[in-house]
Amino acid sequence: MPDIGYAIVALMSLLVFSSIGGVFHRKKTIQLAASSLILVALAAVSACALYLQDSYSVLGALLINPFSMLFVLLFSFTLLLINLLSYDRSSDYPSFSLLFSFVVVGALVVAMANSIVTIVLGIELTVLPTAFMIIINGKNFVEPAVKLFIMSAVSVSMLVFAVILIYPYDPALSLMGYIANPGIAGSYLVMLSLLLFIAGISFDAALFPFNMWIPDVYQGAPANITALLSGVNKKVAFVAMLEILFVLLLHLSPIFSVMIQALAVITMFFGNIVALVQNEVKRLFAYSSISQAGYIAIGIAAASQLGVESSMFYLFAHAFMIIGAFAIILWLESNNVRSIQEYRGLASRNRWAALCLTVFMLSLIGIPPFIGFIGKFLLFSSAISANLVWLAAIGVINSIISVYYYAKVIISMYSGIEKTPLKMGTSIGIVVIICLIAVVAIGLYPGPLISAVSTASNTLIAM
Amino acid sequence: MFPFIGAIMLLLFAGLLAAIALPRRSRAVGSLFSAAAMLVAVSALVSSFLSGAVPAPEQYFNYISQFGISFTLQFTPISLALTVMASIVAFVAIYSGNPEKSSEHTATSLLLLFEISAIGLFCSSNLFIFFIFWDVGVITLFFMIYLLGSANRRRAAIKFIIYEIFASSLLLFAILLIYFYTPIHSFDISTIIAGASSIPQHVQILIFALLFIAFLINMPAFPLHLWLPDAHTEASTQGSMVLSGILTKFGGYGMILVFQMLPISSTYSIYIMALATLSAIYISFVLMSEHDIKRIIAYTTIVEMSIILVGISSANPYGIYGAAYAMLAHGFAISLLFLVAGSVKHTYQERDIRSLRGVVSGSVSSAYSFITGIFATTGVPLTATFVGDIMIFIGAVTAFSVYGAVSIIAIILIGAFLYYVANKSILSTKEKLPVQEYIGFSQKAGMAILIFFIFLFGMLPFIVTNLFNV
Repeated sequence: MPDIGYAIVALMSLLVFSSIGGVFHRKKTIQLAASSLILVALAAVSACALYLQDSYSVLGALLINPFSMLFVLLFSFTLLLINLLSYDRSSDYPSFSLLFSFVVVGALVVAMANSIVTIVLGIELTVLPTAFMIIINGKNFVEPAVKLFIMSAVSVSMLVFAVILIYPYDPALSLMGYIANPGIAGSYLVMLSLLLFIAGISFDAALFPFNMWIPDVYQGAPANITALLSGVNKKVAFVAMLEILFVLLLHLSPIFSVMIQALAVITMFFGNIVALVQNEVKRLFAYSSISQAGYIAIGIAAASQLGVESSMFYLFAHAFMIIGAFAIILWLESNNVRSIQEYRGLASRNRWAALCLTVFMLSLIGIPPFIGFIGKFLLFSSAISANLVWLAAIGVINSIISVYYYAKVIISMYSGIEKTPLKMGTSIGIVVIICLIAVVAIGLYPGPLISAVSTASNTLIAM
Repeated sequence: MFPFIGAIMLLLFAGLLAAIALPRRSRAVGSLFSAAAMLVAVSALVSSFLSGAVPAPEQYFNYISQFGISFTLQFTPISLALTVMASIVAFVAIYSGNPEKSSEHTATSLLLLFEISAIGLFCSSNLFIFFIFWDVGVITLFFMIYLLGSANRRRAAIKFIIYEIFASSLLLFAILLIYFYTPIHSFDISTIIAGASSIPQHVQILIFALLFIAFLINMPAFPLHLWLPDAHTEASTQGSMVLSGILTKFGGYGMILVFQMLPISSTYSIYIMALATLSAIYISFVLMSEHDIKRIIAYTTIVEMSIILVGISSANPYGIYGAAYAMLAHGFAISLLFLVAGSVKHTYQERDIRSLRGVVSGSVSSAYSFITGIFATTGVPLTATFVGDIMIFIGAVTAFSVYGAVSIIAIILIGAFLYYVANKSILSTKEKLPVQEYIGFSQKAGMAILIFFIFLFGMLPFIVTNLFNV
């Protein structure tokens, strides 16, 4: 049914037009309702297409197949959550909404891309509006916005250079299958282009050493944008990485596997060790988010079907865990609770919020029966099955290290008694509950998501 | 066939929900549901005794079908014994472990969750489910110590969680290695037992080392026992009861699984026996320098678990099944001792044996329960520990000749010290500490239940051992 593909395109343009309209009529509630409804519709349509397991291309530019539909589902769902989070937080919601609609289009275009140029375009479309979304909050936010802008400019220039280098060997630049382009094999320019692709995407995917901007931007930006950066933008970068490495450059898998192994190990250690000494919870989660990117890279380094599956599963898992955690951090930030010391006695001020944050952190550590455990289990399995036992061992060691800083926050929340209760707003409460349900329910019954992910990885590798 | 495990889990889960929903009556509701679960567990034991075989496995749903992981629960003779023990100990802990009635809501909910995880772990038929229940149990107990305990509980809880998370990470890594190196990739314990001999030698050594360290931390035994005394001293009475009575059995049960699964483990049995013997004797000396009654009891746990490790390391049916029986017995004995320690603390507001005097005149039931507890710990005939210890030492002497029985010295040492303690502070009537508050009916009933089962399994061991086929 090609209609479904057109429906997605139509919904995307409807979202953009409704946001442009929103800038003029400036009615926050209507704008929230409209964008949320469209995102729900996008999620529903992609879920339907995923169920039908269609496979075709729309307008010659967008692919509809289980892989793209799975990530359209993820992105539209997570963006819906972030939209809800931003409603109370943004001083200028209609402008935010307009920029936000560009991010939506960018993320969905990356998920459905059929050529490298589309991917680069989509990445640019997600990152640049994010920088502006930070800056519309006021003068204090210029620094993180500029950092993000400059870094994205560097990353895009690298990506464009990579595209140019590969162009002589593969003029179609298509992701429709590398078998059609035998000329691509074994040139040093292609290798250089691979290097540049990995480096360029690593800026957004937060892999060491391209992640130096992450802590400052995550800490400086409002928490809803931090949730967007970590919950969606990073996922977009990883999806792009999966598409480029496993479709276009699959024949170079022994080489990029070694590179990604190195990146994964350094990223995990960097994120976890630096997180140990952080005192501000948002910055701590920024470093934790870096280390989580390292875990996701384990699956890519395994360079196997199971590896792709596990990375994709962990993208889902991390999106829900981190958006839930940042929702609570956002709420506490607006109540001037920021450092670990200020988290003291949170359990006595709002026990449900403390419990939810505890669940998210336990899941990030990888404690069963939550979604993070299943994700890490799959990642380490993929490493061992690809004969990278040492990589799995390093992953396990890093999980142990990470216990310390998450436990510090948990312990702080559950010690001491504070008298003044804190009440959570409705929209944030809804986001937290949705994330909690996802984290617990998929953790208890991961079967459906794993089979969806394995169908998607089949289409990715066989594309 | 009646689905016993499913019924137990369902009852406990319903109890958990009810306890969370009814904060004011949580203890009553929790006791009711865990008592029902206990009755189901005991009836499972009785029905398997009558039929001479354990009930059939109960398969519920496919957890992750891509990895062949199904949520299947089954009784083996060992897990049946441990399930019965866990359900009784957890019931007594919920019903009578909290004379101060402090934070009953939190305590009952956490205990029920822990009971679910313990029974799930003992009954799990594959290592994946085993690992999940393991971690749930450990995290639950972390909160149990952290939220409900005495003054220094936070430090003890953190020490506990650091050791346990380390252990569980090793466990996860080992489980993954087992899965990918067995010829038929599987988490199923029986499939692994069948196929483990074809795992390459060096990988087997690695897996064995990882699992051994993980379970040694949890049991615990000598070099890795440091979390236990603090955790027990600082935990609430209920926390210590389940910590010592049930959590340490996770490690013991896991160690039995290691010896059943990996053929290479019997190569190292002599070294493990030596380590366990050293641990038992060393700890029984360490214990003599302690004054806190809870700390003393905590150290006896390490001694007894080391002796159980001697039994497991002998790797013959007598040793292994003896270890299982000793774990069953030790669960009752140690939770009785901790219950008494908690009651004495409640009665006199004192735990130091140097100033605790004349318990027998102030609280008769506590005093005689303590004596019974000592009997049960040191393996006096007619108590359940006697049966377990006899089987362990038969197995150990068969495997290691006379050296297998060296660890009896430790039992003699702790026996001597505990009788000295009892004589000096429990039974002496020269000085009397003033009674602050008497214990209630529920504490006495709890002690009575535990004493009943100690003697029941001591006098009629064949209820369980008939299933063991030794």
